[in-house]
Amino acid sequence: MMESLVHVCLAGISAGMFIWLVASGLTLIFGVLRVLNFAHGSFYMLGAYLCYTCLKFLGIDFWLGVIVGPLAVCVVGYVMERYLLRQVYDLELPYQLLLTFAVVLIADELVKIIWGAGSIGSPTVPGLAGSVQIVGRNFPVYNIFIMVIGPLVALALWALLEKSWWGRIIRAAASDREMAAAIGVRVPSLYTGVFVFGAWLSALGGALAVPYVGLLTTGMGEAVIINAFVVVVIGGLGSLKGAFLGALFIGLLNSFGTRFIPALDMFLTFILMGVVLLWRPQGFFAGVDR
Amino acid sequence: MDKPGIKRRDFVKMGLLTAAASALGTGVMKPVGLWAATPKIKGPIKVGYQAVLSGTLAGYGEFHKMGALMALEEINAAGGIAGNKLEMEVRDSTLAAPAALQNVRYFVDSWEADLLAGVDSSGQALAVAPVVGQLDRILMVTHAATEKLTEDEVFKKGIKQVFRICTPTYQDGNAAAFVAKDLPATTWATINPKYEYGFTTWNMFQDTLGKLKPGVKFVADSWAPFGTTDFRPHINTIMDAKPEGLYSVVWAGELITMMKQAQQAGMFDKIKYVLLPVGAAMDVLEGLGPEMPDNIWISGRYFFLYPDSPQNKEWVANFRKRWNHYPAYVSETAYSTMFAFKKAIEACGSKETAQLITALEGMELDSPAGKRVFRKEDHQAMYDVPWGLTATDPKYPFKIMGKQVVIPAKECFNRPPFEGDASKPPFKS
Amino acid sequence: MKSNWKYIIVALMLLVLIGIGYFSSRFVLYLAMKIMILSIFAMGYNILFGRTGLLSFGHAAFYATGAYGVALCSMHVHTHPLVGIMVGIAAAAFLALIIGFFCVRHTEIYFAMLTLAFGMMVFSLMWNLRDITGGDDGLSGIMRGSVSLGFLKISITKDSQFYFLVLFFFALSMLLVHRIYQSPFGLVLAGIRENHVRTEFAGLGVKRYRLAAFVVSGAFAGLAGALGLLLESNVTPFAAHWSHSANPVLVSLMGGLQTFSGPIVGSIVFVLLREFIERFTHNWMLWFGVILLAIILGFRGGIVGSTTQLVKRLSKVS
Repeated sequence: MMESLVHVCLAGISAGMFIWLVASGLTLIFGVLRVLNFAHGSFYMLGAYLCYTCLKFLGIDFWLGVIVGPLAVCVVGYVMERYLLRQVYDLELPYQLLLTFAVVLIADELVKIIWGAGSIGSPTVPGLAGSVQIVGRNFPVYNIFIMVIGPLVALALWALLEKSWWGRIIRAAASDREMAAAIGVRVPSLYTGVFVFGAWLSALGGALAVPYVGLLTTGMGEAVIINAFVVVVIGGLGSLKGAFLGALFIGLLNSFGTRFIPALDMFLTFILMGVVLLWRPQGFFAGVDR
Repeated sequence: MDKPGIKRRDFVKMGLLTAAASALGTGVMKPVGLWAATPKIKGPIKVGYQAVLSGTLAGYGEFHKMGALMALEEINAAGGIAGNKLEMEVRDSTLAAPAALQNVRYFVDSWEADLLAGVDSSGQALAVAPVVGQLDRILMVTHAATEKLTEDEVFKKGIKQVFRICTPTYQDGNAAAFVAKDLPATTWATINPKYEYGFTTWNMFQDTLGKLKPGVKFVADSWAPFGTTDFRPHINTIMDAKPEGLYSVVWAGELITMMKQAQQAGMFDKIKYVLLPVGAAMDVLEGLGPEMPDNIWISGRYFFLYPDSPQNKEWVANFRKRWNHYPAYVSETAYSTMFAFKKAIEACGSKETAQLITALEGMELDSPAGKRVFRKEDHQAMYDVPWGLTATDPKYPFKIMGKQVVIPAKECFNRPPFEGDASKPPFKS
Repeated sequence: MKSNWKYIIVALMLLVLIGIGYFSSRFVLYLAMKIMILSIFAMGYNILFGRTGLLSFGHAAFYATGAYGVALCSMHVHTHPLVGIMVGIAAAAFLALIIGFFCVRHTEIYFAMLTLAFGMMVFSLMWNLRDITGGDDGLSGIMRGSVSLGFLKISITKDSQFYFLVLFFFALSMLLVHRIYQSPFGLVLAGIRENHVRTEFAGLGVKRYRLAAFVVSGAFAGLAGALGLLLESNVTPFAAHWSHSANPVLVSLMGGLQTFSGPIVGSIVFVLLREFIERFTHNWMLWFGVILLAIILGFRGGIVGSTTQLVKRLSKVS
């Protein structure tokens, strides 16, 4: 029983940290730009494929792939914000949603054309490939690595937003766009910057997911984005701390749910989402936030 | 807001007018789609093929296409079917029922297809079957495996236009039980897809194994929804139950993920007997490469090293030459479908549906997968696909089927009238 | 003058649709039916979306409820299509009442997310209640019974016959939606979109009006689902999936939000575009995405809105 509980917890935490890596960028973009970005899953997918390409064809080390892949996605993010999204900020919210949806369709097909339609099994990462035994059952080293990276990213984001000059401006723009513009913040550039940064975070999640999921497929972003949406909503739209705790919570809920109440699975997640929205629309963890 | 009264009244009038026309329309309908039977085959023979070409399973569609296209090229190079050119159009089925239905209607009513083939998911096959009956065209199913298609739609409801060339769920459930009965394992568990395919196969496996080897216990089941990327919670459930054997019809990319994650969790050190009914799919074997453990029981709808016949060897060689790939099972079923059509059309000298049904019923077909016979009652192709243990072979960059066992289709496929225990294996004779 | 044109266009459209019913091939009939059913879905949806300004991601749940309603009714109770359609609409409206009761507490993105959550709960139920819904295989092979009106019995088995039933409901829906827009109720909804605080001050219970709009649009979704089932003789849980909810959003936005004809134009473009692209390429999603982008960036405010403005500008110049 001990063995079981420990491993259900470990599986939940590592899954949660994965969702967090994707959800962080999503909630950041929403917090500042007020755009719900469906294409966030596409950044995730592109990050994974580009990292894989570095690994497989260019012969670059996996870690270099993790750096290069997401950076390449930043360019995609830049083009999308600068030349597409910016054209529709003045239109109603649904138009922005639709635009990001169109980008999802295009990205999926382009990946299919460039990398082929079949799913690709990914190679393992040298150095992090093995497993260690924890209370009588193997647990992958790579998952432990993710459980470290997740909080590190959270810490870095916190430091960036709370302690740096850039972070203060972002927070100012998030809470009052006009006021920020009035005191001389160049809001359009800031928007571009935040969007690109969010894209980078998602692509980083994708690149790191390559050895974790062990598989690359077109449309892999869609599987992730729904969970990320749920996490962002539960955490309170735009709240980073909320998203972190929400991701952890959803990860554990899925893990425990699958093990102990398997009949409910998806239903449970969406009930939770509905209850949070009705009961505390500002987010489940809103009290913790400030 | 100018004169709203008039506006409304006009609108009402128009509505009434339409309603009247509607009533009239249904009253005096002219017959559509009736044409006199042509004695000789005229014009090209057109096959409408649909497979999934987008989304996570798009790779399957590509393999369908390779097989079908290769058959098309070979047939046309050798003079076509009864002197007529074979034509094919491929459409994306997107794995969703509405798209499959629209494709079928497009093929028949707009593109004027003579024959239909393809279809990946069970839901699609069941949705399409009645419509194919109405449109009155042959549909050869090359991938969807639900036994309901042949048992209910063809046998019980009499939709004679539907045939299936691939092995159905019997291969995944019943045949697996025949393999399992000879293994020392007495406790079994499953990680299966949380949809009809998963439920049906696990039930079939339990039923048949329970009869073949009374006393076996089924100790745990964990159900993974479509699109699962993290199998660890499921792996934990199974490892907690400590079964001796694991059965799983998780397939395609999800199977790759599951195998990798189970390997990492050390599941195969603790569970020695693993049955993967669709583990012999090329995308899985190639995707896992050396990471697929040895001594796992796998099967599929066809495996390129079986049968050990000249026809199969030649075909695999040609396929590799043409596409630089080993043939996936859907490539074989797609390829053989075209030759089944050719044989049936040439046998009855017509491309009329009614005559083709008669020609196809009971027809024998020599195909790369061996001899197939289309069972008259339910239109299911009877042919044997082996079960085998994964093994390393320096000739291939992936694991192949080593030791093979063949459970003849005659012994493990359910039999008409598909009611009661007498229709299910094991059979007395 | 301007209003006369509208009637001429509507009359022409109905004439064309009747003509299609009599003279077209079966595939054209099929596409026309798909367009009309999607139009009903989108027109009803637009009462909530375009009129009241609420973006729902859960309306596929009501579509699916309508479809399952007809299917279950004809399997277990009665095969009369009109009875089935009534059951489907009633079930969808009832579900919309329950879900709407919770959802109208919020607006904007919170409303959208709440409807998404409820919609996915319905999807999950339809997937898991296998004994009733057939699980992911869904229900298939539902045959259309005859429309019996007591004194006469009309067969709608053939697509060419069923077409006129769809056309009838399409025309009826247009009429109803038009009347709703002209009614005091419709004007209040528009008021809510523009300024809900002022509407509240006017002594009107905003939430109750929102709920009413939600239920009405849910009922139209149910009608569309019911007709969709009768057309395809099949329904699967994916009909309730959030990605299916995106269809009426897409169609309304493509056609034009604030317009009456937007959803219809959008439906025509949506169905025909996909069918057209598929004839040229297997990468239809790519081209669909590109064209979608072009419509959003090029026709800001949708096809109908932009075209009307263009016409206005041109007529001013001349």
